[in-house]
Parts: sequence; structure tokens; C-alpha cells
Amino acid sequence: MIEQLRQRLLALQRAPGIEDTPKPLSMGIPAIDTVLGGGLMCGALHEIAATSESHFTAATGFALGLTVLSAPSPRLFWIAEDMALAESGVPHGAGLDAFGLAPERLVITSVAHRRDLLWAMEEALRCRTVNTVIGEMRAGGLDGVAVRRLSLAAAESDTLALLLRAVPPTDASTAATRWIVGAAPSAIMYRPGMPRVAAQLVRNRRGQVGSWILEWSDSDGRFILATHAQPVAAPALDRPHRQVA
Amino acid sequence: MLSLWLRRLSTDRIARSRERFSPLAVTGRRGNAEVLTAVDDAAEKLGLLSGLALTQARAMHPNIATVAEDAEADAALLESIADWCLRYTPLVACDAPDGLLLDISGCTHLYGGEHELIADLAARLENAGFAYSIAIAGTIGAAWAAAHYGEPTSYACGEERALLASLSLCALRLPPATVAGLARVGLKRIGDIIGLPRAPLTARFGPEVLRQLDRALGHEHEPLTPRIPVAPYAAEQRFAEPIAREEDVLAITERLARRLKFALERRSDGARRIELALFRTDGVVRRIAAGTSRPLRDPDEIRSLFVERLTALAGALDPGFGFDMARLSVIVAEPCPPEQIGIGGREDKAELCRLVDRLSARLGPRRVRRLIAQDSHIPEVAETVLPAQAVDDDAGWPAFRRYRNEVELSPRPLRLLARPEPIEAVAEVPDGPPLRFRWRRALHEVIAAEGPERIEGAWWSEHGGPARDYFRVEDKNGLRFWLFRAGLYRDLAQGTTPTWFLHGTFA
Repeated sequence: MIEQLRQRLLALQRAPGIEDTPKPLSMGIPAIDTVLGGGLMCGALHEIAATSESHFTAATGFALGLTVLSAPSPRLFWIAEDMALAESGVPHGAGLDAFGLAPERLVITSVAHRRDLLWAMEEALRCRTVNTVIGEMRAGGLDGVAVRRLSLAAAESDTLALLLRAVPPTDASTAATRWIVGAAPSAIMYRPGMPRVAAQLVRNRRGQVGSWILEWSDSDGRFILATHAQPVAAPALDRPHRQVA
Repeated sequence: MLSLWLRRLSTDRIARSRERFSPLAVTGRRGNAEVLTAVDDAAEKLGLLSGLALTQARAMHPNIATVAEDAEADAALLESIADWCLRYTPLVACDAPDGLLLDISGCTHLYGGEHELIADLAARLENAGFAYSIAIAGTIGAAWAAAHYGEPTSYACGEERALLASLSLCALRLPPATVAGLARVGLKRIGDIIGLPRAPLTARFGPEVLRQLDRALGHEHEPLTPRIPVAPYAAEQRFAEPIAREEDVLAITERLARRLKFALERRSDGARRIELALFRTDGVVRRIAAGTSRPLRDPDEIRSLFVERLTALAGALDPGFGFDMARLSVIVAEPCPPEQIGIGGREDKAELCRLVDRLSARLGPRRVRRLIAQDSHIPEVAETVLPAQAVDDDAGWPAFRRYRNEVELSPRPLRLLARPEPIEAVAEVPDGPPLRFRWRRALHEVIAAEGPERIEGAWWSEHGGPARDYFRVEDKNGLRFWLFRAGLYRDLAQGTTPTWFLHGTFA
């Protein structure tokens, strides 16, 4: 009897984004997938922050890359604060299309207040036909309760929730992962190359953190691990010689 | 047909809003003179009439209170009274400047008959403090004549001829010059011209006289132009006890929607725009409208739309002492053939539409948008955003893809600024990309560039602007921008430098 109650309590206490969902979203890069425990959790909230405001489009690119990975032809709800759209520009259909995201499957919603942003995100997350919801906000804190509500809504419908922030947040997060993303210089000289971002996983509820340079391949519609300009120690997890046979 | 004349609209408006002055006159400028444009009962008893010069009036009665006229406020008041009259009939027309026309055919039984309707209207106007004169007759002309020149409340259905015969010719709504001309030949009452031969009358005074007479007698039809288009579907409910709580409003919305559903189903229609009108006990009418992205019939969904609308309004609903009537009307209806539910694809679409409707209801339809590809090569015109409720799924994008593949369009930015922002740029060679540039006060050193891609301005239009040379550049930190130089070097005047703009950013 006690044991049964304990089981039920455990089930109730499970944090969203932690429990095993059937199909984590594979990034297509074994190193990252291992750190993430098989891939990015689909029905969970992930925070993506730009290293600084000027790197906001790089963070946008990373979020869009995850969106393309989330479903064969993903339906995306992009909810942004008015200021974010005015400062950083509105999503450009031709650019999105080249990125691998059909503009006709995108709905852009602009909101005046943070309160409306969170409400609209939650509404969109509860809709099962939406694959990904991107919420875009300028600087400023977030209520922990609101973040948890979003996580729960995402878990309920198995929708990918991405919170795009203009500056690295200082508040503690209950999101499944938190990334800090900036632009990375192209490998080729004299000519801007493929979209390339330096993605830093600074918080991961399922394990290790890490830092990678990723290049978006338009033709394949996936991320490719680019060579790092500086040597970086491999994440502690990825050390085969330390593993017990 | 019911004609309502608010004889003292201007003075009643002032008397309602301030402490009572009496006698009261409203003044305005006519030509070069300041004249009385409206007077109240007390002033009229003193012999002051509208049209009298203000100086003369002051000389007669130094203690009259005068207020400057405000035609807009009068018109707004008349419109709000017209809205309020929607409780009697959906067909209400404004008869400027101080009257209303109501087509009450088929509506009177709700009040127990024409006389009872007049009594109800009169009692409510009395309470609100308006001087009124109401007449019901078979035609607009006769009702108008009876209201303006007959008893304060009169009923003359079927007796239009007898009623009109005794009234002055002014009651036919003729220009004053025509009336004066008729009076000069001894024709003063309508009865005088009813029996006269038509041809000489028309020859001398124009066709207007007989047309107005025919209209008043019902020989010729006179159209009524309602102030608000009549909704194709409407359901209403009156309450014995006024309601004020939001839950009650929502419950009644659902009940009315349930009633509308049958009517909509019968004609295979669905609602695209729905309006809820709430009539407050003190005469104020609240209208709340909600749009939908596809024809809708389901009462639960209609209810959920109004949940969002009411939340968005927050305190603005202001029930005051409560609402005593509610009407739900479908303003725009579209055919909505009955469809099978439960098959994957359609259901998905419906769920998305529901989400779009909910967001639009709460945030406003202009905030929930879709990108639409336009037939243009100029980047900021090539795409527009339209309310998601208004457009369908594929809006020009397949055509855009074909075009992109054909011309091998060079990369486009992920985010486009609302308008190109001017930057200070230094280029190494005249037609080349910039070496460094300053945008939003930050200096960017360009290390890699691609271009130019020349995009010609709309040369066929005066406001087309110059050609642009676009460059894709990358700075030292790996940030990628889409810049352009406005105009070509060879077109520049001697000694001037070209202007550069930043238009978008790449990931």
C-alpha cells in the first residue's frame, strides 16, 4: 500500500523534460546526442540565448535548425514581443525557405506584453498540430512558474518549445536545457559560408554540458560538427578509455 | 414604419450632462451672425426661437444661458440612440440631424402591438430625459410628417391620406423655396394638392412635390438605409433581471449560439464574423466582435472565442447596473457544407484554425499573421504579412520556389529589418563591398564579402528608388549581414559619397 502510494507520488513529482519520452530529437551528431542522452527532449522547453544582442540572428538560426529537425515538414508558431521584431527584424520568408522551413507553415504572432507572450506560447503548445513553438523575448527575467507551465504544456502535447532570449539570462531555469549561442566565423576565407554558430550547452537537466561549433547544411537539412578554431577538451562523458569494458 | 423625432436633442444633451440651466439656448455661427440654433421649452415660452440672432435674444432676455453648438456631439448622441433602438428592430436609420426611422414591421408583436411599443419607447425616452415625438404610419413620409407636425405620439396606419390632408406642406420634406412658392398660389396644406391635376403642378414646381406626396401616400416606394447592415443571422434574449457577471454573459452567448446553429445549419452556412451586442439598462450598447478563420457553427467554439475577447477587454466591459438584453448576430456568413469529422487531415486543420482564432480573439487579428509571397523582386515588397484568419495555406510560396530555382537566387537573410537602416560604410573600391561599417553605433570590420547582387528599383514608378547593390558580408566576429549601396557610382554627383543601408541579418 505504502509502496503503491510512493510510486504514485513519484509519478506526480516527475519533472517535465526529465522522463524518458519515446523519441528524443537526434541532432545527428553523436557527440552531442550522447551528452543530451540520446537527443533533445521533444516535449520540453529549451532556452536558447544569444551571447549578446548582435548575435540574436545566430541564435535564431540555431532555433530554426532545431525546428527543421523536429518534424518532416514542421508547423511552426513564432511568437515574439513587438520590440524583438522591431529591433532584430521580422522573419524573412525567402531566407526561411532556403533554410529548409516552408514559410506557409509558419504563423507569426506579435505580442505587446511578456504576459501575453507566455499565454500565447502555452496556447500554441497545447495544440497538437503545431510541431514547434518559438517564443522570442528581449532582456528581462522570467517567472519560474511561467516556465514550468510552459514545460508542462510542452510535455502534454509532445511539442518542442524554444524560448529565444536576446541576452544570456542570469536567472535559474527549470527548462530542460539552456544554450548560449553566438555566431562563429566561417571556415572559408574571403567569402561568407554556411550559417555557423558556436553553441554552448550551459545547462542540461539530463547530464553533462559542452560546447560545439555547428554548421547548418541547407542541402541536408541538418547540423554538421565543424572543426573548432581552438582545441577544446572533449566532454567528460565521451572518454572511451575510461569506460569499464 | 416608426418615425422618432427628438425635438430638443441639443438642449436635452446639455441638460443631461450638466446641472440644469433654464432657459437654455444653443448658439452657432450662421453666415456672419451668431444665432440661436436650438432652444429648450422654457426659452421657447419666452418667445425665443431658433434662428434668432444672439444679440437680439440677449436684448430680450439678458438672463438666458447659452452654450456653443456641437454638431459632432449631437450626431454621436443620435447614433448611440440609434444603436439603442436596435432593441426594437434591426432596421434603424438615422434621419439627421435629430430624428430616427425604424422599420418595425414584424417586430411589434414582441411588445404586444404597435401602441404598446410606442408606450415602451416613450417611457424609456422620458426616463432618459429626452423630448420626443413618435409616430407610426404605413410609409416613411407619413410617419415623418406625423412625428414632426402631429401629436407627440400618433398612430396612423391606414389613415395616411386623412392624416396628411390636414398637415402643412412643410410636412412633405420639401425645400423651403418650393413650400413658399406653393403658399404664394394659395396651396398651404397637403390636402390642397392631393386632388390637383399632376401635370401643371410638376411643370411649375418640379417633380419633387409629387414624388414626395406619392411616397408619403405609399404610391411610390421609399427605401430605408439602415445605419448598420442587417445581420443575416441573429438571435436575442431579453432578461427580466439584468445580468452583470462575465460567466452569465458567456452562458447567454452559448445559448444564443446554440439557437443560431440551427438556422446556420439549415442553410449550410457558417459564421466568419460574429458580434455580441449587450444592451445596458441605462441605454449604452456594448458591441464585441470576434472573427474566425473558417466558417464556424459550433456553439462551444463560439463561446471560447468570446472567452478570449472578454479577457482581452478586461475591465472595459463595464456592465454598470447590468445588461437587460443580449443579441448575437452573425455579421458575415459563408457557405460551410456539412463535413465528415474525425478524418486526420481535416481535423488537424480545424485544430490549427481554432488556435489561430483564439489567439486572434485575444490579441487582435492583426497580431496573428502569416507571410505571403508577393510578385515582386524588391525584398521588402516581396513578402507581406497578412492576418492569418484572412489567408489560406499556400499563398504564393510554390511559385516563389519555382522562381528561386530558376534564377538560382542568392542567399536571403533570415531576418529582415522593417526598413533598411542607414549605416556609415567605407568601401575599398568604388563598386566593391565595404571595408568596415558602423551600425547602431558598433563598428564592424568586414573580413569576407560576397556580391554584388544588383536589384533594380521600381523604375516604372515615381517612388521606385534607385537600384541597389546587395552584399553579403561577414565581420570579424562571424556576424553576417545583408547590406546594400543605394544607387550606382556612375549616377552619383561629383564629390558625393554613396549611401549604404543594412537590410537584414543571416545566421
